Amino acid sequence: MSDTDLSVPFRQRAGSALGDKHLQEALTIATTKFIGLRREAFGEFPEGERLRDMAREIKEATLQHLDRYVDQLIDSVERLGGHVHYATTPEEARRVVLDIAARTGARLAVKSKSMASEEIHLNEALEAAGVIPIETDLGEYIIQLAHERPSHIIAPAIHKTKGQVADLFAKELGRQVAADPEELTRIARVELRQKFLDADLGITGANFAVADSGTVVLVTNEGNGRMVTSLPRVHVAVMGVEKVVPSMTDLMVFLQILAKSATGQKLSVYTTLVRGPRRAGELEGPDEFHLVLLDNGRIRQIAGPLREALYCLRCGACLNVCPVYRQIGGHAYGYTYPGPIGILLTAMLEGPGSVKDLAHASSLCGACADACPVRIDIPRMLVELRREVDEARIASWTERLAYRLMETILASPTLYRWSKPLARLLQRPFARDGRIRSVPLAFGEWTRTRDLPAVARQTFQERWPELQNPTATPGSSTATGEPCDRSRLAPESGHPRPKPDSRHPLQ
Amino acid sequence: MTTRAEFLSRIRTEVGKTSGLFPAGTAQRPSDPRAVTETIKRELAERWPHALERFQLEFERVAGVFHRAASLVAVPQVVAGIARERAVRRLVAWHARELGGDLLDSLAARGLEPFAMPPGDLDSAAERAELRRRVADAELGLTGVDLAIAETGTLVLRSGAGRPRSTSLLPACHIAVFDRTALIESLGQAGVFLELWNRGAHEDGVGAVTSFITGPSRTADIELTLTRGVHGPKEVHAIFVDQVIRG
Ligand code: SF4
Repeated sequence: MSDTDLSVPFRQRAGSALGDKHLQEALTIATTKFIGLRREAFGEFPEGERLRDMAREIKEATLQHLDRYVDQLIDSVERLGGHVHYATTPEEARRVVLDIAARTGARLAVKSKSMASEEIHLNEALEAAGVIPIETDLGEYIIQLAHERPSHIIAPAIHKTKGQVADLFAKELGRQVAADPEELTRIARVELRQKFLDADLGITGANFAVADSGTVVLVTNEGNGRMVTSLPRVHVAVMGVEKVVPSMTDLMVFLQILAKSATGQKLSVYTTLVRGPRRAGELEGPDEFHLVLLDNGRIRQIAGPLREALYCLRCGACLNVCPVYRQIGGHAYGYTYPGPIGILLTAMLEGPGSVKDLAHASSLCGACADACPVRIDIPRMLVELRREVDEARIASWTERLAYRLMETILASPTLYRWSKPLARLLQRPFARDGRIRSVPLAFGEWTRTRDLPAVARQTFQERWPELQNPTATPGSSTATGEPCDRSRLAPESGHPRPKPDSRHPLQ
Repeated sequence: MTTRAEFLSRIRTEVGKTSGLFPAGTAQRPSDPRAVTETIKRELAERWPHALERFQLEFERVAGVFHRAASLVAVPQVVAGIARERAVRRLVAWHARELGGDLLDSLAARGLEPFAMPPGDLDSAAERAELRRRVADAELGLTGVDLAIAETGTLVLRSGAGRPRSTSLLPACHIAVFDRTALIESLGQAGVFLELWNRGAHEDGVGAVTSFITGPSRTADIELTLTRGVHGPKEVHAIFVDQVIRG
C-alpha cells in the first residue's frame, strides 16, 4: 500500500486536494449528510447530553485507574482461555501478530475495520511474511484494491465514485460490473464470503474492552466483525490500551451515543461482544483468542498534555464538522488518523515534530469540541501543541521570529508606542485599502492564503485622548477586514465554544 | 518483548502522576443484577404490550420485518410464507431445545428443507466443515432471541450449544422467534442483563459471543448509497409469538 507522500509538504498536499473538484464535491456531500444524521439522532434523544457528560466522566475515571482496569482485563481474558500480549511499539505489535500467524500456519487473514492495525501498518508486514491480508469492510476493501489509505475514519472510501469502484473491480477482480452501488456490493459480498470461509486468521480492532468480564466489543454495520470472529480458527484483536471500560454498565453508556455520533443510527447494526475463544459445546468460533494491547505513545500521555485525546471513540463526528477537513479530506493530513483529532493522535504516536504544519490546520472554531460525544477539547490541545512545537524550535524560523518580536514589543510600552509609526512606514509599499495582501521574503508564506489587516492610521491607543472627550470628531479608522462567512465553510462552525466541563489540571 | 509487569508498571507510573487530579466516577453498577432483572421482568409482565409496540416501530425503522403468531405451532406457517415469496427452501435452525420446540416436521410438510443444528459440538473437524457448508448454502436461518430491545429494535442473541453464531449470520434471510419474556425497554436495561450474564463462573453450554442485531446488514461505503446485505443477512424478520413459548 502506498502512503501519502510525506516528503510533499502539507501545504502542497492540501493544495492539490483543494484543486480536486471531485473530491471537493464528495467531501461536501458526505460530511453534510453525516452532520444532518447526527443532529437528527440527538434531536430525538433528550438524554443525549447527560449521557455525553457521563461518558466523558467514565473515560476520565478509567484513566485515573487504568493500571487496575488493564490488570483486571488481562486476568479476565486469561481466565477465559485467551492470551494477552503487550506491545510498546508498532514493530512489537507486528511481531506478535506475525508470530501467531507463523505458529498457526496461517496463509490467509481476514480483517474487520481496525484503525489500530492501520496505525501499526500490519498489512504490509503480513504480506511480507507471506500471509495475505484481506480487508473486509467494503470501504476498506475498495481502498485496499486501489492501494490507497482510508480518507475518513468511518467512511474510508468516500473519495471514490461508483464509476471508479466499478473500474477497480473490473481491473482487480476481472469482473465487468455496472457502476451501481447495489451491484458492486453484491459482487463484494460474493468475493469476500469465500474469503471468510477460507481464512485461517481473523484480525480485528476493538471499540471497547470490558475489564471485569474480558469482553472485546466490536461495532460494525456490515457484519464482517461477526464473520471474522466466528469463522477463522484464530482471532487476534489489536487494541489501544485506552479502550478499556470498567463494566458492562459503562459500556452501555458509550453504545447509546457512539452510533448516533457516527452515522445517526440509534445503534449500529451489529454490536458483537466476544469473550475469548470458542467455549465447550460451541460449534463455531476460534480455537485461539489473542488480545494485543498497544501502547505506541499512549501511556505517556496519561499524564501528558494530550491526555484527553485518549477519550476518543473514533466516531468521526469531529471530521465531519471541521472546516479544514471538509475542504482537504483525509489523505492530505498524511497519517493514519485524519481530521482535528487525527492531528492530536498523530502528535501522540509520532511525536510533536510530525505535526508542525498540521497543528495549524485548524481554524480553532470549536465545532469539533461541540460535536464530540465525549466533549474532547480539541482546540485547547491544538493551541498547546502549537506552543510546544514553537518552544521545541520545530516551528519554522520565520514563525518563531515573528512571535519573539511580538513578545518583546507587547511587553514594553515604550517599544509598543514606537512600533506603530514604524509599522505604518514599513507597510506603506504593501498596504491597500486597509489590508496587506503580501509581505516580502520568507514571511510571504503567511499572506499566501490570507490578508493581514494594516496598522490603522490612528490606533485605539492614539485615539484614546480624543475618545475621552466625546465632542471631538472621532477618528475614522477601523482596520479590520470583514468577518469571513464561516457558514459557507462549515455549517457547524462558529458556535461559541462549550465551557470546559472539567478542569484541566495538567495544564 | 514487553512483559505484563513492565507494561503495567509503566501505566502505574503515569497514573500515579495524576492521582487525585480528576474527580470522576464510573457508572453506577447494579449491586445485585439478578434482582434488578427480575424487577424489570415483573414490571414488563404488565407493560409488555407497550414495549412491543415500540419494538415493532423501531424494528421497522431499521428495515426489519415484523410478524405475529398466536403460538409456536403457528410459526412454520409464517416461515413458509416468507420462503414462498422468495422462492427458497433451504433452512437451518437452532436446535429444538434452544428454539423452544421442534418445528422441523411442520416446516418440511410445508415444502421447506429444514435442518436443525446439533445440540452441542461435533466430534470431528470434518463433520464441522460439512455442517458449515450446509449453513453457508442455506437461504433461511431460524433462531430464538434472548432479548428484544424496544428502544432500538434490537435482537440480542447469545451463542452456545445448539445455538451457533452462523445461523443468524450466513443465510441471506434471518428469522427470529420471540415472546414477551424476551422483551425489554431500553439499552440501559440490557446492560443489567449483560452484568448478570457475565458475572461469576461460566454456565455450561453458554457460548463466547453475544450479538446485538439491529436490522439487516448494511453499508453506505459506495457514494453513501444505503445497500443491505453486504456480509450478513439482507433481511431480518422477527416473529412475535403471543403464547409464551416455554409457558
Ligand atoms: S475526537 Fe470525539 S468526535 Fe472526534 S472521533 Fe474522537 S470521539 Fe469522535
